[in-house]
Amino acid sequence: MKKKLKEKEGLLGYLFLIPSLLAFCIFMFYPMLDTIYLSFFDWNLVKPTKTFVGLSNYITLFTDPNTLKILKNTLLYIAILLVFNLIVPYILSFILSVIIKKGQGFYKAVFFLPSVISLVVGSILYTWILNPVSGPVAIIAKHFGITMPIWSQTEGWVIVVLCIITSWKAFGYNFIVILAGVSGVSQDVIEAARLDGVPMIKIFKDMIIPMSSATGIYVLIYTIVQGLQFVYTPIKVITQGGPNYASSNLIYKSYHEAFTLYRTGMSAATSVLTVAIFMVLLILEFKFVEKGVYYEN
Amino acid sequence: MKIRKKIKDSQILWHILLCLVVAILLFPIVFAVMNSFKNNTEAINNVMHLLPKEPTLENYIHVFEKLPFVRITLNTFIIAVVVTLLKTITSLFAAYAFVYFDFKGKGILYFLMLSTMFIPFTVTMIPNYLLVSKLGLSDSIIGVMLPQFADVLGIFMLRQSMRGISKSLIEVARLDNIGNVKIMTDIVLPLVRPALISTGIIFFINSWNEYVWPVLILKSKENYTLSLALQMYISSEGGTNFSVAMAVSVMTMLIPLVLYIIFQRYIINTFAMSGIKG
Repeated sequence: MKKKLKEKEGLLGYLFLIPSLLAFCIFMFYPMLDTIYLSFFDWNLVKPTKTFVGLSNYITLFTDPNTLKILKNTLLYIAILLVFNLIVPYILSFILSVIIKKGQGFYKAVFFLPSVISLVVGSILYTWILNPVSGPVAIIAKHFGITMPIWSQTEGWVIVVLCIITSWKAFGYNFIVILAGVSGVSQDVIEAARLDGVPMIKIFKDMIIPMSSATGIYVLIYTIVQGLQFVYTPIKVITQGGPNYASSNLIYKSYHEAFTLYRTGMSAATSVLTVAIFMVLLILEFKFVEKGVYYEN
Repeated sequence: MKIRKKIKDSQILWHILLCLVVAILLFPIVFAVMNSFKNNTEAINNVMHLLPKEPTLENYIHVFEKLPFVRITLNTFIIAVVVTLLKTITSLFAAYAFVYFDFKGKGILYFLMLSTMFIPFTVTMIPNYLLVSKLGLSDSIIGVMLPQFADVLGIFMLRQSMRGISKSLIEVARLDNIGNVKIMTDIVLPLVRPALISTGIIFFINSWNEYVWPVLILKSKENYTLSLALQMYISSEGGTNFSVAMAVSVMTMLIPLVLYIIFQRYIINTFAMSGIKG
């Protein structure tokens, strides 16, 4: 009797899962496998036959000097995104939950506001606000004798600006998550340290960060994975990867190879490489977060 | 007394810093709204003067005249509503299965689904493009909807929320021979209502803002969504029609902002939970 009930329960479980599972199989799991398959072929999206080329796409990918540039860009994107979306929100969360404590609701609500706005809107607003000739920021900078670089044409600056646009959207979510993590640190411990006259910077460095590091690692990985994808939209609408690939990253390269150059094999190989990098991060997260090493230093 | 005053002073300094962040984050929105009510010459020549001197609706009128704008807004809206409803329901069932049923492969299935959060869209882009084309659905709003259903976010948020409900409550109901559907609608649903609402709102907003996928498959202007229409007003130099671009931006962000302001509390609480493992 009980066994029968269990069986029925399991069946219902599958039944409840079917709609989601179907969508995942058709639009996620199958495409993933198909992309791996495509990475071993030479194709252009329309030709009736695909030519098997073995590892040739991967070899081209790793020997192309452009790839190195794009990998470097990707790292620069990650570094800047982490400053705006991990370090800054961490410091602000510390200020808000340990030092001033008041007004949390207000700041949370306002900081999150841009997160609900389309990145295309963000891109268009910032191209005007940061227009190097007629934008308000350029005009103010001019008063101080600073000439704004023509960022969309300048290596380095172009990535900085695209990161600013992306961070405008990504910042709020990360802030809310980190604040929840930081607020979870026992207030008694912090109060005790404060009464002992431990300097704030030490409390932040030696207590808050280690004690909220599960959240910290989550946001770190989320920022890398999500941030790189978010940044695709401003790249696509503002620079198309230019000038001379200076703003391209791994995600944009995949798109560019498939839908501009019509080299599906190269695109697929780039995507597989991206996933491989992300998977390493995922394993790292599981290793750190699930094992609970974060309670120590 | 003196010490307390000192603490207060330093608190004001911190608040000033935080308000500076607020100003930086909100400025683009104010900038867009203000300039959308200026005529183009005034907008370009008077960037530093935020308030419009002669407020005008001409940019908004222009948008409706030059683009099938009602159609575009309707497309965006229909896609977002259908995707939100179906996805919320399927996520609810999936989360329920993961929390309240025992079956073979449950752990691995959940792990597989959750790990898709770490899969960049580029990995599924080409096969999905080919599939949707093969079905004859490219350049259609159904084609825009389909891949959006493979999304684990709702399952994750609802599962988190359901796990907060005491297990014994469900067990008692089961012993009383109350059916699963009734348990779901009468016990679980009311308790996960806040998470359900924020899941729905987030689905709606995300679909409303979706750009990456529709831009790959939509070709004709009648099928455009707002993000795609907006894209026509952008170039790295900014283009010429500044004030019109601001008007389209305002119209694109209006609905998500209104929804957010209404459901702000739910959304923030649900998201704050998402970083906490459990």
